[in-house]
Amino acid sequence: MNSTVAQPTLKPLHEPGPSQRGFQVRRIIIYALLGLGAALVLIPFFWMISTSLKTEDQLFRPGLNLIPNPAMPGNYVEVWSRLSSINESMTFWRIMANTLFITILAMFGEIMSAAIVAYGFARFKWRGRDILFALMLATVMIPGIVTRVPGFLIWRSLGLLDTYDPLTWPSLFAWGPLYVFLIRQFFLSIPREIEEAAIIDGANTMQIFIYIMLPLIRPILLAIAVLSFQGNWNNFQGPLLYLSTPEKFPLALAMRFFDQSLSKEAPQWQYMMAMATMMAAPILAIYFLAQKQFLDGINVGAVKG
Amino acid sequence: MDLGVLNQFLPTLVRYVLVALGVLGLIYGVYKLQRKLGVRQEAATGRALVMPWVLGFVVFNVFAIGASLYLSFTDYNLFRAPEWIGFENYRQLFDLSLVPLETAEQRSSEVLPRRHDEIVRLTVGDGGFVLGARESDFWRSMRLTLIYAIVTVPLGLAGALGLALLLNQKIKGVGAWRVLFYLPAVLPAVATALLWRWMFSQSGLVNQILRPFLDVFGMDTPQWLTNPTLSPVLFIIISFWGVFGANTVILLAGLKGIPQELYEAADIDGAGDWAKFRNVTVPMLSPAIFYNLVVSLIGALQVFEVAAFIPTPTEAGTFLNWTIFQEAFSFRNMGMASAMAWIMLIIVLGLTALVFRSSSAWVFYQGAREGN
Repeated sequence: MNSTVAQPTLKPLHEPGPSQRGFQVRRIIIYALLGLGAALVLIPFFWMISTSLKTEDQLFRPGLNLIPNPAMPGNYVEVWSRLSSINESMTFWRIMANTLFITILAMFGEIMSAAIVAYGFARFKWRGRDILFALMLATVMIPGIVTRVPGFLIWRSLGLLDTYDPLTWPSLFAWGPLYVFLIRQFFLSIPREIEEAAIIDGANTMQIFIYIMLPLIRPILLAIAVLSFQGNWNNFQGPLLYLSTPEKFPLALAMRFFDQSLSKEAPQWQYMMAMATMMAAPILAIYFLAQKQFLDGINVGAVKG
Repeated sequence: MDLGVLNQFLPTLVRYVLVALGVLGLIYGVYKLQRKLGVRQEAATGRALVMPWVLGFVVFNVFAIGASLYLSFTDYNLFRAPEWIGFENYRQLFDLSLVPLETAEQRSSEVLPRRHDEIVRLTVGDGGFVLGARESDFWRSMRLTLIYAIVTVPLGLAGALGLALLLNQKIKGVGAWRVLFYLPAVLPAVATALLWRWMFSQSGLVNQILRPFLDVFGMDTPQWLTNPTLSPVLFIIISFWGVFGANTVILLAGLKGIPQELYEAADIDGAGDWAKFRNVTVPMLSPAIFYNLVVSLIGALQVFEVAAFIPTPTEAGTFLNWTIFQEAFSFRNMGMASAMAWIMLIIVLGLTALVFRSSSAWVFYQGAREGN
């Protein structure tokens, strides 16, 4: 953010002088600590991938075998034939389609509704606005479990249990207060003159929103798209509560289903980890491609918080 | 693909589109109604635009919380209509007993009332006290969840602050480090929960690493998943993996936002590193620390996936969120589960309120707050 400001004081450190040695020691300590932290982060991560490529008898071999030999990329195919041998509809494509269906609908709903609601909170003056906005932020503190039972009963009375409805269209009601907050912050940074010019040109509110505001807030919408994709792709509690037919399961539930089908005595960790890696892969890909959006998205809220 | 597959998606898709149109209709309707009532255009537009959230708030928060409170006073198993039983659920939940022990080693079943199980044992000298409860699953989970929150929140914050300070030094590739340390937080909780169960299993990686060291002392490798005293330790270790990254990113942004002049002024005053940290960094960073504190506290009290995938021995309890979920949807005790959820709600709100109350003493907002 202010990296240019940080430059002046750091410059003297590079000048040779009596402090040079102390500076070197300090650097070594810093890198050593960071390296240690990195190892702690990466070892479990590599262990997941490494396990997913092992044969069963490699799993319990004593010692650290980080690199499997022989490597078994076939595990990634085998896990799905195992799963569909338990329930023939649980194929790779089916489970992926389920996961994507839920994720994309919920993501679209979250983004659009949050943008509209944030626009109402950011750009117009009306009585009760600030109280309502504070109320919205306060809902973050309500543990989800409190509303789970009544929520379940509502969907049950609508006859929509075991459908994707509870997981998708409620997103159209801006169920993520954090996203509304982030977009509102972004709106506040846009100069009002832009809208005023459009109003003079005769544009109505909807036109201003669609043709002027949406393109302007694209960076934050992208950041939220990334966060929302992650949130919905990883969602476990919602699907666990509402879905009961295995062929409707998203990945998170398919993993639980597979886990429970295995005996506790012979957990086939190579397959479980192959599935875990597969579930993590798209999120990781997005994370590495859109790291800036990801990390900035988390930041906007906190800096002004 | 056959029609069966389409049947799974199509009705939801149709209803999704209808609801979306309904939401737009709602916005338009509320706008028109206000205009008819003579509300200014700006106010009418603003209010109309937030209507989707208001409706969702009324149904999924206000109504649902009210319904939950009502259900907590009933006996309801989904098959018969809810039966009003007054405070019975709460009475059962608070059926606790505190009895003295004759010796510190005395078995709690000898002193506790029938059907009560030990929750907490307090040894004082030769004797002590034991707290028992009838709803032992709930209270054991309460114990585990609170221990977890009290240990992981401050330690996680301190660790994240340390890491953010390291990353704020003149180091190469800050961006890459930041990406690396945040990595655990993006991985699906379901996947990592399974990974941890594997790593902490009897012949998993953790014990593989520990074995040579423990052999030196002639100790056995710990039974992480079956030894009840190790359960909280296990979850605390797991939490550290993810908690640093998420908090660090925010704290690092906060550090970068501290004006360099403040440090220069401190240098002129002859302040040392510690004085600068204590008197410049911490106050300037306190809003970010406060935000992290609230978010991680709420998060720590609501752990779910880890509990769903890592079973614990009965005596250890599990995470509250999972216990309540099970009570409701595995045992179908909707009334009891609602009462439990309300106790949890009060605890979460109470602890958060405590943090908010304390914030005036240590959170420093620079000048007039910006933001709007």
